[in-house]
Amino acid sequence: MFGVALTALLQQSLLEFVPGSLRTGGLTDANFRAVLAPQYLRYIWETILLSVATTVLTLVAAYPVAYALARARSARVRSLLLVLTLAPFFTGAIVRTYAWMLVLGNSFVRWPVKLLFEPSGVLIGLVHFSMPTMILILAAAISHIDPRYERAAASLGARPARVFWRVTLPLSMPGVASGCLVVLAWTFSAFPTPELLGGGRVKMVANVVKDLALDSFNWPGSAAFAAVALAVTLAVLAVMSRGLARLER
Amino acid sequence: MNVRRLASWLTVVAVVLAPGAAVAADPIVVSIWGGNWKDTVEKIVAKPFTAKTGIPVEFEVGGTLDRLAKARVSKAAPLVDVTFTTTHVGRLYISDGLYQKLDMAKVPNAKELAKEAFRSDSHIGVWAYVYTIAYRPDLIQGEITKWADLWDPKFKGKIGLPDFDPSHIITISALLEGGDEVNWQKGQERLKRLKPNVAAFYSTDARSQDLLKTGEAPVEVMLSINGFHLMDQGVKVKLVNPTDKPGIVGIDTMGIMAGTKKADAAHQFVNFALGKDIQEQLVAAFKAGPTNLGAKVPDDLRGQPGVFTSPQEWKERAYIMNDEVRAKNLAPWKEWFNANIVAR
Repeated sequence: MFGVALTALLQQSLLEFVPGSLRTGGLTDANFRAVLAPQYLRYIWETILLSVATTVLTLVAAYPVAYALARARSARVRSLLLVLTLAPFFTGAIVRTYAWMLVLGNSFVRWPVKLLFEPSGVLIGLVHFSMPTMILILAAAISHIDPRYERAAASLGARPARVFWRVTLPLSMPGVASGCLVVLAWTFSAFPTPELLGGGRVKMVANVVKDLALDSFNWPGSAAFAAVALAVTLAVLAVMSRGLARLER
Repeated sequence: MNVRRLASWLTVVAVVLAPGAAVAADPIVVSIWGGNWKDTVEKIVAKPFTAKTGIPVEFEVGGTLDRLAKARVSKAAPLVDVTFTTTHVGRLYISDGLYQKLDMAKVPNAKELAKEAFRSDSHIGVWAYVYTIAYRPDLIQGEITKWADLWDPKFKGKIGLPDFDPSHIITISALLEGGDEVNWQKGQERLKRLKPNVAAFYSTDARSQDLLKTGEAPVEVMLSINGFHLMDQGVKVKLVNPTDKPGIVGIDTMGIMAGTKKADAAHQFVNFALGKDIQEQLVAAFKAGPTNLGAKVPDDLRGQPGVFTSPQEWKERAYIMNDEVRAKNLAPWKEWFNANIVAR
């Protein structure tokens, strides 16, 4: 099915766009030339930056929670953390994003800097959206680390920070790698968060695909942009997965 | 079986089947936007239509483009019979051969329509509105009376604009510089000067109302119907009849799908929706302009943005873009708008 969809996408991307009509013309490479212009490449670049920033911030924010979830001695604390982690899954992305609009806007809080309709606001929304998944993946990885390794390091005189950097973190790298890849991949295709929190001023790849297809009626152009974005996504994921694999070693 | 017994049985059968027969007529399917649009058309047009003709009406709801995409893929055997859509998107249906020509002999109510309602041989206007300026008088200082006021530096970071379709503000900028939608380049520099005043862009009716309601964008280029809707909710909103250039008119239209097997019923529905009585109710519900010039408009709506009651008003207070130019220019307009106005 994926192959069929991909073939249809590529086929559409090579057909001529006829303005004011849904009919397409003959074969052309004009759509690719159009979407490889700086105006469109800028959206891809900004999407990469936002995705990488989201991945890094989510990792930093999620790791302590995941560690507590995996290592807390009290079953009650673990349950509470699990419930708090899973709670966002029970509200849809749209509901969560609308809630962020209220928080980041001027309705309830006067922020010293503008957050809503700015990249910073979109970043906050994306990190929040990605947190639960990252926490669960990391917690699973950390819980597989035998605590005796950490205790052994401590008994040999290593301070907690050193135990973390030299034992816990390296052994949790498979989880870090998986979490980062998952968050990066889905942030790259994020739609509702940048659509609502970006207020049209911050656009990621999926928003531009929608703009071209549904607002400009330029389906061939939209297909071409989606194909280029897909290729870039695969390249970024390949680079990242190679880098993370090296870190795992 | 004696005659009396047979008659009893026949009576029972008739009683059981009669209601079924009344609703057994083949329903027509009407494609329309969801929410208030569908609810209002169902209540004001569809139910009385069924009561009058016995033809049930079913709805297919969705966004403008979702429905267009569905219509394309089901072109060989259309899933709907009548489609409501905006006039320029109606052009796309026509260009793709999705509409059939209207048989005006079957739409006698069309004789009462404003000439602006006749968008093509295949689609016909059912109500009108304008894109105009809406603002929150409690959140800004002074009054807004004309389009040129939007460029006032005191509105820095306060204006909301639609980005899904920038044709309105592009045309207004061009008109203010002596151009129009054909010579839209004349307004480019003026529109670039508006950029600092823009707070946000919206892509749906709901977002446009949110922006005004929360004050994130206390001044907006907005669909008049949405402005009236906010007023009904108690939000302090003023809708402007701009004094320098008219509001940009939008006309929602009906078209009958090519290949429908229920063309007669579809024509009846279209005709019914254009009737004076129905139009009066639609005007009251949407606070939109009737296309039937015979429809009475409540006093409090007369003269309001988007409500035109005479050929003179259509001429003086409405600017209607050329549908074909608009449909053809939408992609380049959007591209230019994104690059020069939306881009940070």
